[in-house]
Amino acid sequence: MPRVRRSRKPPPDGWELIEPTLDELDQKMREAESESHDGKRKVETLWPIFKLHHQKSRYIYDLFYRRKAISRELYEFCLKEAIADKNLIAKWKKQGYENLCCLRCIQARDTNFGTNCICRVPKSKLEAGKVVECVHCGCRGCSG
Amino acid sequence: MATSLGANRYNRQNWEDSDFPILCQTCLGDNPYIRMTKETYGKECKICDRPFTVFRWCPGARMRFKKTEVCQTCSKLKNICQTCLLDLEYGLPVQTRDEALAIKDDIPKSDVNKEYYTQNMERQIANTDGTVAVGAVGKAQAPSDMLVRMARTTPYYKRNRPHICSFWVKGECKRGEECPYRHEKPTDPDDPLSDQNIKDRYYGINDPVANKLMRRATEAMEQEAVAPPEDRTITTLYIGGLTESIAEEDLRDQFYQYGEIRSIHMATNQNYAFVQFTKRIDAETAAKRTAGRLMIKGKRIVVRWGKSQGSSKKDAEKGEKSGSSSFKPVPGLPGALPLPSDVARGNFRNFNFMEPPPPGTIPMPRQMNQPPRMPPPPPPMHMMPPPGFQGMQGPGPRMQVHYPSQDPQRMGTNM
Repeated sequence: MPRVRRSRKPPPDGWELIEPTLDELDQKMREAESESHDGKRKVETLWPIFKLHHQKSRYIYDLFYRRKAISRELYEFCLKEAIADKNLIAKWKKQGYENLCCLRCIQARDTNFGTNCICRVPKSKLEAGKVVECVHCGCRGCSG
Repeated sequence: MATSLGANRYNRQNWEDSDFPILCQTCLGDNPYIRMTKETYGKECKICDRPFTVFRWCPGARMRFKKTEVCQTCSKLKNICQTCLLDLEYGLPVQTRDEALAIKDDIPKSDVNKEYYTQNMERQIANTDGTVAVGAVGKAQAPSDMLVRMARTTPYYKRNRPHICSFWVKGECKRGEECPYRHEKPTDPDDPLSDQNIKDRYYGINDPVANKLMRRATEAMEQEAVAPPEDRTITTLYIGGLTESIAEEDLRDQFYQYGEIRSIHMATNQNYAFVQFTKRIDAETAAKRTAGRLMIKGKRIVVRWGKSQGSSKKDAEKGEKSGSSSFKPVPGLPGALPLPSDVARGNFRNFNFMEPPPPGTIPMPRQMNQPPRMPPPPPPMHMMPPPGFQGMQGPGPRMQVHYPSQDPQRMGTNM
C-alpha cells in the first residue's frame, strides 16, 4: 500500500536524493510485514519491524544532525510525514540514549518491577559473556 | 470445585489469599535481595484445584524462574515447600519422610472427599498458632536416625537450573548462545527418575526419587554396619564427626555398654577418636549397634572400623625385613644355588675377607691371591629348600625355575 501523503505541498529540495533509500527501506518493511512467522517465537515476529523502523529514523537523523546533508526544511517534512519517528529521535538527542533501539525498551511502566529493558543495561554491568536479546525488539544492547 | 469468588454459598470453597509463600531455602535461592511477583488467585493448586496466590521469583543468576505450585493449605498439611514439594525440615520427598517417620495419612483423592477434607483441615490450621505442623506430620515421633542420615542439610541450588532445551535435544535450537535453556544431553528416558508427577510426589506414592533414596540409605547402613575387617586383631573403632563439646567421658559413657574398653584416643582438633575394645566380639557388637545411628549431644557421629594403627604400612615393611622365616615356601625353588661363575672364581667385588696387604709390601698380583679352587660353599641355612619340598629335589631341569627376587639374601645385591 502506498504511503498516504498528508500534505498537498510538493516535497522540499533534496527529496530526490533521499527518496531511493527511503523507498528501499519501505520495500524491505513490506517484505518484513508479509513474511511468514513459521518457526519464529511469538516475541520474535515483530523484531524485523522494529529494526526497520529504527533504520529509517536513523537514516534521517544522521543525514540532518551528523552529516548535515539535508536542509532543516526537508528534515521537518520527514518528521511531519512520519517518515522518521520524532519521539525516537527526541530520545537520541539525550545523553545515554544515543543508540536507543526502540521506545518500548525504556517504557518502565510495562515491566513487573518498573525497570527498563535488559538491552538498556551497559555491557560492563552485565555478567561477562552473557548474550542478551530483548523480547521487545531483539536488541542485543543499546547502551554502551 | 471452586466456584467464583463472589459466590456466597454455605460450603463455598475458600480461595486462598496469602502474603508470603512457604518455601525451602533451595527454592528461594542464594540471593538475599530477592524480588517476587505476587498474583492473587493466579492459578489452581495442582493438588486441591482451588485458586491460590501464585508467587514468582528468580532464585539467583543463571537460574530459572520458579513459582509456587500448590496452595498453602496443601503445603501445611504435609509440611512441604510450596514449589518443590520437599519436606521443609529435612529436604526429603514426602514418601521418604513418611516412611522414615512411620507416618500414615490417607488424604482423600476423590473430588468431594478432598474438598471436605481440605475444608476441615483449614479450620484446624486456623486454630493452631502455626508453629507445629498440622496433620499426621505434626504428631510424628522424633526423627529416626535414618531420616537424619538422609536429610539434606545444605541447599542444593543445582535444582534451580534452567530446564534442558527440548529444541536442542532434537537438534533444532536456533537460538544458540542466547538460548536461556540448558544445552545438555538429557538423562536416559528409560531411567525411572525421569518419570515423576506432582500428585504422586505429594501423596507419597510411586516416587522414584524416594525409592532411590531409601535403597541407597539402606545399602549404606548395611555396608557400614556389616563389614568387620578380616584381620581378627582389630578391635578398634573409628569415631568421626565429633565436636569440641564431646569429651572422652561421653564416648566412654556411650561405648562401655558393649564391653570393656582398652583405650580411647581423642584427636580433638581433628574431631575424631579411636575407641579400642579388649575383645573383638565387643567391638563387633558396638559397631553393629552404633554404626549410622549414634547421636551424642544431638550430633550425628560416624562409626567405622579402625585400621589398627600402623597395620597398613609399618606391618608390611616389618614383614619384609623380618626375614625369610615368614615367607611362604616357593614351589619349584632349586635346593641350593650354584654360585655364579664370577663368585666361584673368587672374583668378589668386596674382597674384604682378605687382609689388606701391610703397607710397604708390594701387593702381589691378584692372580696370586686367588684361593685354590673350591667347590661352592654350602648354601646358608635359610636358603635350604623348605622341608616339604625335599622330595622334589631333582624333578628335572624344567622345574629349576629361579627368580632372583625369590632369594631374600640376594635382594638388592649385585653379585
